[in-house]
Amino acid sequence: MDFAFTPDQLALAETVRDVLTEHCPPSALRAGRLPGWDRLAAVGFFGLLVPPEADGLGLRLVDALPALEETGRACLPGPVVETAVVAPYLLPGVPKLASGSVRVSVVPPGGAGAPDADLADLIVVAAPGAGTSGSGGGAVVVGREAARLRPLPGPDPCRRLSEVSYADSAPLDRPLAPALRAATVATAAQLIGVARRLLDVSVAYARTRRQFGAPIGSFQAVKHRLADVAVGIAFAAPLVHRAALAVEAAVPDAARDAGGVPDVERDVSAAKAAASEAADLAARAALQTHGAIGYTEELDLRFWLARAWSLSAAYGGAAEHRARIREALAGGDLRRYP
Amino acid sequence: MDLDFTRAERDFRAEVRDWLAGHVPERLPSMDTPEGFEAHRAWEALLASARLSAVSWPEEYGGRGASLVEWLIFEEEYWAAGAPGRVSQNGVFLLAPTLMAFGTEEQRHAWLPGMARADQVWAQAWSEPEAGSDLAALTSRAERADGGWRLYGQKTWSSRAAYASHGFGLFRTSGTRHKGLTYVMFPLEDVGVRPVAQLDGLPGFAELFFDGVYVPDAMVIGEPGDGWRIAMAATSSERGLTLRSPGRFLATADRLVALARDADPALADRAARCWSDAEAYRLHTFHTARRIAAGEEIGSASSMGKVFWSELDLRMHGLAMELLGERAGATPWLDGFLFALAGPIYAGTNEIQRTIIAERVLGLPR
Repeated sequence: MDFAFTPDQLALAETVRDVLTEHCPPSALRAGRLPGWDRLAAVGFFGLLVPPEADGLGLRLVDALPALEETGRACLPGPVVETAVVAPYLLPGVPKLASGSVRVSVVPPGGAGAPDADLADLIVVAAPGAGTSGSGGGAVVVGREAARLRPLPGPDPCRRLSEVSYADSAPLDRPLAPALRAATVATAAQLIGVARRLLDVSVAYARTRRQFGAPIGSFQAVKHRLADVAVGIAFAAPLVHRAALAVEAAVPDAARDAGGVPDVERDVSAAKAAASEAADLAARAALQTHGAIGYTEELDLRFWLARAWSLSAAYGGAAEHRARIREALAGGDLRRYP
Repeated sequence: MDLDFTRAERDFRAEVRDWLAGHVPERLPSMDTPEGFEAHRAWEALLASARLSAVSWPEEYGGRGASLVEWLIFEEEYWAAGAPGRVSQNGVFLLAPTLMAFGTEEQRHAWLPGMARADQVWAQAWSEPEAGSDLAALTSRAERADGGWRLYGQKTWSSRAAYASHGFGLFRTSGTRHKGLTYVMFPLEDVGVRPVAQLDGLPGFAELFFDGVYVPDAMVIGEPGDGWRIAMAATSSERGLTLRSPGRFLATADRLVALARDADPALADRAARCWSDAEAYRLHTFHTARRIAAGEEIGSASSMGKVFWSELDLRMHGLAMELLGERAGATPWLDGFLFALAGPIYAGTNEIQRTIIAERVLGLPR
């Protein structure tokens, strides 16, 4: 039992953090659609999960998790999870995936649209209800040129959804469910990063903003609200880390379905629900701490608020995942991993 | 990062599970009644006979030198088996870590083996009528006497003191506020004890009156005047790991999910959320155990755990009360609910904990 990230896993995250600090600062979020992507590609970020035979590093999801959290902390735009996590599962043979020169977006089962599909080369489109049984099928892959996109209104200017229709597509020959589980956990990791950033900027603001002759962070009402955010994050993150281990525990889906191990879908849902709620709480507290200045388009805070909302809804919102946990528990599986 | 138990840890779990399956008694009367107190002592002695009453202690004191992870495994099995509450809690989980860290070899040999068998049962004596959350305002004092100290003053909310044999707490020997406090153990036989009934009508705590109670120097832990630092080290472990291990809440969450299985989905949803939250506390604790094993100080971060588990426990029992309605009284859930209500108050109120988190973890100004 060594439930902490290894120095290698943390070093990877630090590299990503350094790259994004320099090449994806808040000002870049207003200037372009894919800030930092070429630099991330240059350090191998998009090849982390790609198999070695396709020029990737063949790492596990858990190895990339702290780095994914950093992409949330930086509010990195673009189809990050879809390209860096989903594509290695579903499209590992696509040339140049590891180099980051192929971008992928995904319409998840039941999802309204695909994030940043206009920037993608390939779009995976899942049928509603696909991928839940652990079997393949129910999804196709569409080339960007064969797709017609209809932009959908949404809260996040840096994660734009499009409805996807298409004239031509190819069937996916790999199972959708493991990719969706990984995407859900990766998105949860990004939400933890978003929440940490929201807490950091709120604390910084509360330390400097003065009213009644004192920093507002000296007032107990403000302190206790931000303490609750810290508690929320502290107890959501381990669920995300556990889920990253659980999705790749070396157990075939058949054994899972036969009841060989605890319900991995339940643990993935616990991660996403908790991370979504922690980020929502952090966003709410951040806005309240900043007051009216936080309610403006001018302050960079708005990007992180929007990202908390958009990622909370991505790959299923908290309520949907809570219902899944409830159903799994009602089915009688109270076993724990580990 | 991994979440794999070793072969030895799995074997240990199996041994504990087997032993408990053969020995856990039917529900005992409350430990806050005379017969219940004795029944709980007898249970502790039985546990000790299998070296299971304080597994993390070194063998020479009655433990088995278990690692933190093994202790967490023990706790999971203990509560899952429906075993009784620990009448030795104050001693085993609060005083003993203090003796291990700050006591002398003589003190450890004098008190730990008996504590493990519940030959002595210890009461804590922190709060005073005018020193609750503001513990440093305490005025009970210890005055120098020949070869020891005489204790004067009043303590209150002293858990287990109605039936316990000994107590421990802070007494002022000089100075003001945090300075000049001394950590003292004392026998309760010469102390005036007024049992105080709690919300369940039973005397779970008491007021203590000291009118020159004599204790020899050997009953002082650490240096006179160093009591605040010593006590804070203990409450840090109290809030952190040893007071309420995840096992207790995992067991409650399992029972709650079973209770809510056929309930309205809105209520079942809340039960499922509690179950996940208990999981979160368990995983967070595995991470903390790893940090401690690596030599890190968890410090003020333990306040986060205290807020989380105490409010989780209250949510779980509050939901059970909703599910059971007027039938709750015929089940153990009512006692559990009343006990859970104390969680956000004892060991530093959750308001104090949130302020500690804000100031010492987040760095907000005082």
